[in-house]
Amino acid sequence: MTLPDLTAADLQPVLPALVLAAGASVLLLSEVFLTTASRSHLALIALGSSVLAGGVALATAFEPAHAVFQGLAVQDPFSSFVTVVVCLGLAGVVLLSADFLKQRQAERGEYYALMLFAAAGMSLLAMSAELITLFINLEVLSVSTYALTAFLRRGPRPAEAAFKYFILGAFSAALFLYGSALLYGVTGTTRLADMVGPLRTAMHTQPWLATCALALVAAGFAFKVAAVPFHMWAPDVYEGAPTPVTALMSAGVKAAAFAGLVRVFLFLGRADPEVVALALSALAVLTMVGGNLLALPQRNVKRMLAYSSIAHAGYLLLGVAALFPHPGTGVLAATPLMLGSPAVNSADAYKGILFYLLAYTVSSVGAFGVLSVLERHADGDGATAWDLDRFSGLAQRRPGWAVAMAAFMLSLAGIPPTVGFMGKLLVFRAAVDSGLLGLAIIGVLASAAGAYYYLRIVVYMFMRPAPAEGVLPEKYWATELALVASAVAVVALGVLPGRVADWLSQSGMFFGTR
Amino acid sequence: MSPSPVGPYLPLAVTLLVSGLMAAALPVLAHFLGPRRASKVKSESFECGSVSEGSARQRFAVKFYVVALLFIVFDIETVFLYPWAVNFKALGWFGYAEVAAFAATLLVGLAYVWKKGALEWET
Repeated sequence: MTLPDLTAADLQPVLPALVLAAGASVLLLSEVFLTTASRSHLALIALGSSVLAGGVALATAFEPAHAVFQGLAVQDPFSSFVTVVVCLGLAGVVLLSADFLKQRQAERGEYYALMLFAAAGMSLLAMSAELITLFINLEVLSVSTYALTAFLRRGPRPAEAAFKYFILGAFSAALFLYGSALLYGVTGTTRLADMVGPLRTAMHTQPWLATCALALVAAGFAFKVAAVPFHMWAPDVYEGAPTPVTALMSAGVKAAAFAGLVRVFLFLGRADPEVVALALSALAVLTMVGGNLLALPQRNVKRMLAYSSIAHAGYLLLGVAALFPHPGTGVLAATPLMLGSPAVNSADAYKGILFYLLAYTVSSVGAFGVLSVLERHADGDGATAWDLDRFSGLAQRRPGWAVAMAAFMLSLAGIPPTVGFMGKLLVFRAAVDSGLLGLAIIGVLASAAGAYYYLRIVVYMFMRPAPAEGVLPEKYWATELALVASAVAVVALGVLPGRVADWLSQSGMFFGTR
Repeated sequence: MSPSPVGPYLPLAVTLLVSGLMAAALPVLAHFLGPRRASKVKSESFECGSVSEGSARQRFAVKFYVVALLFIVFDIETVFLYPWAVNFKALGWFGYAEVAAFAATLLVGLAYVWKKGALEWET
């Protein structure tokens, strides 16, 4: 028999995931063996692991793209950058969680351990280049998130949210698996790189089967990224989960699921760029328009941010669709005649997608952070905990938070000088360059509609009088640190995106494109 | 010319058809032919002859699920250990290191559940 030839060089790419998993194990052990009264060391361990893992990923980010573990996974700047973004989001979420849990007497090692395990799954998902590896990592991150959703299990809301998330997540996993099985049946391999040739042939010999396989895999991912019409679970789950967990869902889970989506469709899309590009474009339009329209009437800010997260998935899908150049203009003319490698024009689209992931991560972690400090434990899980009125007059009561929240809202709306604007600029420009002018126009219009509900919060904070009674929310250093760091990142990356954008436009960004 | 591929499956199809018809016909026949004399005792739920008591909608203790879950975890460990044990010589130190890492991870889990009290039945 042939032995797998593994060396230390094979372990180095998975080092971030190993660090996260080791941190999670330490947390589990310290939960049972270190029973001190103070529990603040848990957050510190989690924070240290995520910073260390992010640092390791950053240090290897300039390695040339190469396959690891006999092609089961790949390491390329794309995967490293996604890992960095995930670890960044995780660090912010851990900082937010520290005080959130302490107030609710729910500081447990399991909470942070589940987060770290989820992040390890996210990091590996970005590297997976084989369907079974991909699926396992998708499940690692999903199952951890299901449990986290029900972490504060008092009251009906967390149970409902976790149950919905679990059932629909299992359903989407089944769709993905069904598609994978069909893909294996059509091509005889589970490795994405080996799949392209046989799949291209199959698109002509067995078009229905091959298209069904692609559609099922796409639907599985569409569930995970909450793209319209697979978004139904998102608002209820986002609302019911503890607010820091919601931040992790909107930042980390979304980034990783998009990394997997891009990885899969950059390979499989080559089999039939027309069909894949058309499907992605349709999803992008529905998600951009649907997410923004559904967010408009929301007075519950947490639900509003959930719909906003759907809308942002739409802009990202636009970036993914832009990976496939389209000769026509307009939605209906998006019938691409392009054949061969999609790498022709895709460097800008990668840059757009990745920068957008970074932009959305820092902005949404910050926005959910402000939301989590405004919601008080005494409110239980009543819907008023996240009502728009909570933001009335925040500028007089807590000017720092109001300014930070304004920055996050401007960034989510895509208004300069914030990172959200740069992200949208890069994505829309990539879309226009690859011939998706119609889609880009729809995207701009949709985000203009979105500005209404983002700016409404700013109006409430700065132009409405503060309520006469009501307890002033307290300040905690960890939360403050997370908010300040996100706000600085939102503005700094918006004003000076140069370094990061340069890094993202390096060549050989993605394995198998050069 | 090769024999028809359907040939060997024909008896199977006939069996399927007959059993389907039986399944459909029997309840219908029983409905029309069978006498029905309901009584209080008869409409009680049947529990192997003993008198039924209490509601069937009871909540089960969570510990059953925990034990089932833990069983699966360590069962899967065995599933992975057997192929390694069979190929022990061929896999050499590399295999040993891999399995040791795998077992160590599970050991962390075991220490956690043990200390957490998930293995205590009488609580």
